[in-house]
Amino acid sequence: MNISVYKWFARATVILTCLFLLTGCWNSKELDELGIAVATGIDKNDDGDYVVVVQVINPSEIATDAPTNRPPVSTYSITGKTIFEAFKKLSAKSPRKIYFSQMRLVVLGEKLTQEGIMPTLDFLYRDHEYRASFYVTVARDAPVDKLLSIVTPYEKIPANKIMNSIDNVQLNWGVTKGITIDKLIADIRSPGISPVLAGIYIIGNEDEGNNMSNVENVDAPTKLEIDHLVAFKDDKSVGWLNEEQSQGLNYATGDVKSTIVTHPCDDKGTLTVEILRTTSGIKANTKNSNPSATISIEAEGNVAEVDCEVDLGAPDAIHKINKEVEKQIEDLVQSTIKVSQEEFESDILGIGGAFHRDEPKYWKSVEGDWDQQYKNVEISVDAKVKVRRKGNSTQPIDKKG
Amino acid sequence: MKQDSKGASSNSSSNTAVSEKLLSSLDENMNIIEQKLGKSSDLVIRRVSISKTACAVVYIDGLVDKDTVQEYVMEALMLDLPSHRTSAKHLYDKIKKASLPIGELSEVEEFAHLLNRLLSGETLLLIDKEAKALVASTKGWRDRGVQESTSESVIRGPKEAFNETLRTNTALLRRKIRDPNLRMDAKRIGKMTQTDIAVAYIEGTAEDSVIKEVHARLDQIDIDGVLESGYIEEYIQDAQYSPFPTIYYSEKPDAIAAGILEGRVAIIVDGTPDVLLVPALFVNFFQSSEDYYQRADIGTLIRLLRLVCFSIALFMPSLYIAFTTFHQEMIPAPLLISLAAQREGVPFPAFVEAMIMELTFEILREAGIRLPKPVGSAVSIVGALVLGQSAVQAGLVSPAMVIVVAITAISSFVFPAYNMAIPIRMLRFIFMFLAATFGLYGIILGLIALVFHLCSLQSFGVPYMSPFAPIVAKDQKDVLIRFPHWGLFTRPTSTAKKNQKRTNPSSKES
Repeated sequence: MNISVYKWFARATVILTCLFLLTGCWNSKELDELGIAVATGIDKNDDGDYVVVVQVINPSEIATDAPTNRPPVSTYSITGKTIFEAFKKLSAKSPRKIYFSQMRLVVLGEKLTQEGIMPTLDFLYRDHEYRASFYVTVARDAPVDKLLSIVTPYEKIPANKIMNSIDNVQLNWGVTKGITIDKLIADIRSPGISPVLAGIYIIGNEDEGNNMSNVENVDAPTKLEIDHLVAFKDDKSVGWLNEEQSQGLNYATGDVKSTIVTHPCDDKGTLTVEILRTTSGIKANTKNSNPSATISIEAEGNVAEVDCEVDLGAPDAIHKINKEVEKQIEDLVQSTIKVSQEEFESDILGIGGAFHRDEPKYWKSVEGDWDQQYKNVEISVDAKVKVRRKGNSTQPIDKKG
Repeated sequence: MKQDSKGASSNSSSNTAVSEKLLSSLDENMNIIEQKLGKSSDLVIRRVSISKTACAVVYIDGLVDKDTVQEYVMEALMLDLPSHRTSAKHLYDKIKKASLPIGELSEVEEFAHLLNRLLSGETLLLIDKEAKALVASTKGWRDRGVQESTSESVIRGPKEAFNETLRTNTALLRRKIRDPNLRMDAKRIGKMTQTDIAVAYIEGTAEDSVIKEVHARLDQIDIDGVLESGYIEEYIQDAQYSPFPTIYYSEKPDAIAAGILEGRVAIIVDGTPDVLLVPALFVNFFQSSEDYYQRADIGTLIRLLRLVCFSIALFMPSLYIAFTTFHQEMIPAPLLISLAAQREGVPFPAFVEAMIMELTFEILREAGIRLPKPVGSAVSIVGALVLGQSAVQAGLVSPAMVIVVAITAISSFVFPAYNMAIPIRMLRFIFMFLAATFGLYGIILGLIALVFHLCSLQSFGVPYMSPFAPIVAKDQKDVLIRFPHWGLFTRPTSTAKKNQKRTNPSSKES
């Protein structure tokens, strides 16, 4: 053996010894030392302090074949002058370090949204432990701590239930949408669009809901439901959209994946069309010195349910249905435009963005004062619907002849 | 090394005394032989008198084929020869030219050679007044016969394996390659064992530089005994301090023959069924001879599978440690919850948990190899129960860790070459240390170091990682993917630059 080999061995020994000494490194945490947070609720109390609620899962209760009667999640509620102070105070209550990287959901209280959410978002966006993929929602008519303490049936983790519900509603019904923190901050900071957030509310008695007995019923008395959207102006909430307006907003922004449109038939009964694909675009122009914008929506769908006497085999039957559905969609979007222009004075449809793209010169002149200008923009809606298929039976099944 | 050679020189003093010429007196010669060999019980000396001349037949019992000695030596001398009335003067020539019906007969004049031949199982015939001896090849001892390979089993393809006899092994190769250019250079290594070694290659295909290098390295070996080809391997391998093997070995004649056809050089050592093959590239250890017997598509897929298993066997426990102790955010939420639930109540950190399980497995594996066959099944029961169920039920380890260790263990048995599984076994623990210390960052550092190391290796002048580093486009057809045989136009450039053409591209009619 020559000297260089000895040297090599000596070096390797030193390095390996260091490896041993270094174990238990600053960032190493065992899984059973972590309290995995799935949802965080943030609100303000009457003193102006922040109230932070954290929903932590109880893993052995969720992934187990021998469940006990302990709840699958626990919540901790703390107050603090700042959000970070509240989070740090958590350690006094929680036996484990709360780990936020797997968080699915942030629920903001209504009081906080009325006062402005930017300081809250700053913390959530700045801290390295938060992923940017969680949904931000607003608790409607309920304190956040109560809302996050509801035990949900079927899905053991309430935060998962809410996130999945938002996704499902967005995919199949189109009356809400999941907004991640990236999108929310981008919308707030952009003068050409105002943000909206999904709302959550409690059905039933909120005090009964945090007991395991809630889910021992087949039809749980207390449930969480996803409501419609809340409109913001800058970082403050200005009001709730109803179901039609929420859907209209999603049509305008192209976020409807699948939904239904029901319209009455000529004499009696209704005909339902399932929308399967939509695209939308906004064109803005300042011709005739009057700023105006056109929202064009293209949709495809199937005839889903026929509850009236209609001859689907007639040459112009489908054409007629197309026209009816187009009108329905246009009405929905118009209702959204109306409420945003007259009641909220907030450009939740993103019309400003269209002017920014199409009329940059005009946009420069109105950018600072867009909220006022927005009220006066003339917005028309142009929907194009194509009903492609009639389903397995071409005619209503009770059609005679 | 220096100390060794010193010891050797003191030893060899007794050898030089033997290196003298035979004397013309039979009695004196016999005295010297008896003195050299002592009173060994297996030394047979038969003194006979032929045509009034004293002769002696000497052989070692057990190394010779007794029937051959009896029929073609003793009978020829004692029954046939006396009837011809030969004068004592011409007796030696007569015996040499006409009387011994034996294929291989030679003359020896030195004691050193004489003893060597005697101890190799040949029969000596010494005649009075002749300062030379006749040596008849009567080798014949019990060997295992050509049996099915136990350490490298295949579904399709030849099942035969080399055995412990050099001649049988060279014959197995000759039977596969009838090319007149197949060379079997003989060597003898080991001062005491005098082990026969054959260097097999195809002249004109194998690189001259490699053949020369093999010979040079073999000639430098100074060792008292060679009992297995591993002795040779350690002397001639390129990287003495690398965990990775730079010499391939196999006990399957078809695998060695395939290597020789590709221009590699085989080193056959008497006394072991494991034949060495050089130069060996990293990728060779992931190729099984069966890849070439099955259809090309499945051959390719299985090679990819082996590469996946290589990564699993090397990285799985360390990745598990890194993810669960450093990078919980990289685990999908449902999986994280499930893992966290399993870890509830486990008293050890993930790293210690993994070490316990891996060590337990290594102990079981070693015990499984050493234990006699009937006891082996007991070990597997203990392993399955203790490692699997009981450890989990006792709350010592989490079920996920058992799965990780199990998949790691199974993956490490996928490689056709057992000696490639060994560095993986060792490096796995280093990667576990790195993962427990630095997380994924540590694993990546280790991986970079590993790649550097692999790229720095050579095997008999050929870069170990070729044809990847350096990249050789032509050779890619038989590395990760295996082309059909009619598409393997050329031999690997790394080993057979001189004689590249393997098949004519037009030989396959489409």
